[in-house]
Amino acid sequence: MSNHDIKNEEKFMGQNAWFSLFMGVTLLIISVYPLLTQTSAPLLFFGTAAFLGSFCMFVIRGGFTWKMKYHLTYKDEYLNTIDTIAYKHVVLGLLFSMGGVYLFSDDLALEVSHTMMASFYLAVMCLIYGVSILWQSKD
Amino acid sequence: MQNQIAKYRKEAGLSQQELADLIAVSRKTISTVETARFTPSVIIALKIARHFNTSVESLFTLQEHD
Repeated sequence: MSNHDIKNEEKFMGQNAWFSLFMGVTLLIISVYPLLTQTSAPLLFFGTAAFLGSFCMFVIRGGFTWKMKYHLTYKDEYLNTIDTIAYKHVVLGLLFSMGGVYLFSDDLALEVSHTMMASFYLAVMCLIYGVSILWQSKD
Repeated sequence: MQNQIAKYRKEAGLSQQELADLIAVSRKTISTVETARFTPSVIIALKIARHFNTSVESLFTLQEHD
């Protein structure tokens, strides 16, 4: 593997972590804010626009989908290891958040739609992945 | 597991990035191996040893709890 490939992978991982954080916060706002204001239409529009905007920036600016050729693993050993650990953190976080929802769902059931819950789970997954990668990447 | 990679690297006058480039791994790999936060594969250990013209045993040392 060339040094160019490795630098691409490092760059990809860093941007991927920040993209996940941004997406996580956006999804968290989309899933929680309607509960507070009892309205979701403007925020869903904003959220969708933010998602599409950030996704286009991510793909076009980095061109990563082509550079990475849709590989699901990193070739660099350390990057691959922290990526795998981050996915484990995601699964653990998802289990805890699902456990929390299981325990408190009766109190929320009338006010929360399936869309909001799905957004909340996605937000948790994105946030944990981004934080985990950034935390493990620190020197 | 302790290692002497930082010592060998500094003696050779290399930065972490330069060593990483020479053995085709990321700088973070070198950084985390040096601080014993990451245990590299045999392939990377052999590459580092070969680069410094030494043996893997002289670079890595097992500790009692390993």
